[in-house]
Amino acid sequence: MEKYGRLTAGFVKRQYFPHLLIVLLFVAFSGGFVSFRGLEDAQAAKVMEMYVAFTGILLFTPLFMPEQDREIWDLERSKGTAMWQLYLPRILLAVLVCILVISLFMSLMVRGGGSFDAGSLFLGACCEILFLGSIGFFASAVTNQVVVGYMIAVVYYAINIGGGKYLGKFALFQMMKGEYGSWGCWLLGAVALLVSGVVVRERMRRRGWL
Amino acid sequence: MFGALFFKECKQVLRSLVYLIYVVVFVLFITGQMSSDSAVRLQAPVPGQSYYGTTVTKDETLIMEGTLANLVGDVYHNSWATYPLGFYKGVTLTDRETEQAEAILERCTGKPFAVLLEEMTGHFGEYDPGSAEEMEAAQTSYRVSVREGFTYAEFEAAMEEICDLVGRGSAYEKSKYEYSIRVPMTYELAKEEFDALCEKDRVTRAYMRLFCDYAGIVLAILPIFIGVSRALRDRRAKAQQVMFSKPASGAQIIVSRYLANLVMLCIPVFVTAFLLQQPFCYRAQTLGIRADGMAFLTVPGVWLLPEIMVVLALSFLITELTDTILAVFLQVAWAIGSVFGAEVLVGDFRMRLIARWNTLGQTNLFYSLEKAFLQNRGYYFLLAVVCVILTVIIYERKRRKGGSLIWKNTAG
Repeated sequence: MEKYGRLTAGFVKRQYFPHLLIVLLFVAFSGGFVSFRGLEDAQAAKVMEMYVAFTGILLFTPLFMPEQDREIWDLERSKGTAMWQLYLPRILLAVLVCILVISLFMSLMVRGGGSFDAGSLFLGACCEILFLGSIGFFASAVTNQVVVGYMIAVVYYAINIGGGKYLGKFALFQMMKGEYGSWGCWLLGAVALLVSGVVVRERMRRRGWL
Repeated sequence: MFGALFFKECKQVLRSLVYLIYVVVFVLFITGQMSSDSAVRLQAPVPGQSYYGTTVTKDETLIMEGTLANLVGDVYHNSWATYPLGFYKGVTLTDRETEQAEAILERCTGKPFAVLLEEMTGHFGEYDPGSAEEMEAAQTSYRVSVREGFTYAEFEAAMEEICDLVGRGSAYEKSKYEYSIRVPMTYELAKEEFDALCEKDRVTRAYMRLFCDYAGIVLAILPIFIGVSRALRDRRAKAQQVMFSKPASGAQIIVSRYLANLVMLCIPVFVTAFLLQQPFCYRAQTLGIRADGMAFLTVPGVWLLPEIMVVLALSFLITELTDTILAVFLQVAWAIGSVFGAEVLVGDFRMRLIARWNTLGQTNLFYSLEKAFLQNRGYYFLLAVVCVILTVIIYERKRRKGGSLIWKNTAG
């Protein structure tokens, strides 16, 4: 356990810290972009789906940054720890920070005197933001380019602004329309993308495709 | 040397995954948004039509009546759209603030809010809520009369009070309401607009402005990734030191890279514009109008080129300076702010990165705003040039130092 803690702390210190700082700034400046006063269901969902959703992209996309460098990957692979054991604590850390950010926004909206279903919104927001983040994670995993990860995640977000109808059950911004039943699909999609991201990436790396 | 570097860079861009994604996303987005049906619908207005479209009014009475109509709706729904920092911010007022807004409305109209609400319900009840065209007509024709003797100066003061309640960036700021109240067009006005579309715009220029409106949205975002990816490529490939040792000057390296990326970014834009303009050339021919066949080059050249230039140049500059992907966060935020911050989708050129013109036509309005538009584009063109010069200076400094100006050892 201590080993994983040390490895994750090293990742945060060398690679992840600037991203956490950006998330912190994102939260700190939120008052300038969104209002927390007296929000109803659709308005509270809008804050979560259109604003807080970006934390998913910010937190999950850069998780493979150190291993973009082939030499670092070779070195890590030569050690006794399996690669997935290296990635899993990072994913859990990103999930934890993501939940903290969502909880913070939820509490601000509740304190602002909002009248919305906090439980359904929290569950939906967690799954949706995790799903959006996992798209960036998967794209960055299989291309070995964090920039492509951000690009695909931002494009997916943008497609949903006008073209959500083409994405079926995996369309974002459903809670704004009063539809709270998509969380299962988002969660399933997120888990599938996170797992396949790690598996596909490692296979591609070993075959020298990345 | 410059030419060789330029063509080598073009080849590298062409082979990159980011560029492939850019081309696919751009083409899918633009072809999904632009419809050639509007070419078929393009025809001269005839007297006696039930609807001729709408236009922005400059009439003070109509501005007051239209703005107050919007205000009644906002007070009723208690949902206020504001853009304080360029981004959308929904505001909800407290009960006390709502009462204040109702009192302001009563002062402007001389009627209690309950009566205004009844009038609003009655007006919208006359239209079919299932028809988008009917609802647009209902919205456009909905007016709230001001009380007798109420002046425009009093109206401006009342709107300032509303702004104090809801905060900065609402539709009740003078700069917003004076450009956003639309009124139905008469036959004479519609005919004048159609003539201007045929004579001044020669049809295709107007269509290309609509193309630029949509293309401008994606082009504020996608080139960021191309620029960041390119600026980090040497670092990723561990070729930075090799590049530093080359005899080519920093200006040659950076400018050739920049121009190659710019040219490659522009190719899909102009090719798509050319293809999409063809139905309009044909339609103009059938109407006996000589279309401007070069509009696919001239309009996007002035409208989109400065935008692509500045987005690309800024991504080069920030990435070269920081050796990180910081530009992705900053510039995506800027682009999204510019998209959501546009209260008016036709006009409002001021300092917006994305110049919006979400309509086919309104030719006379465009030419009345042309100076502001050209100033906007000129500003971004100059900003792009300054960014490229700064990138060259930073590159030369890094070259002399032998690495990043900020970090000792980082990975992109």
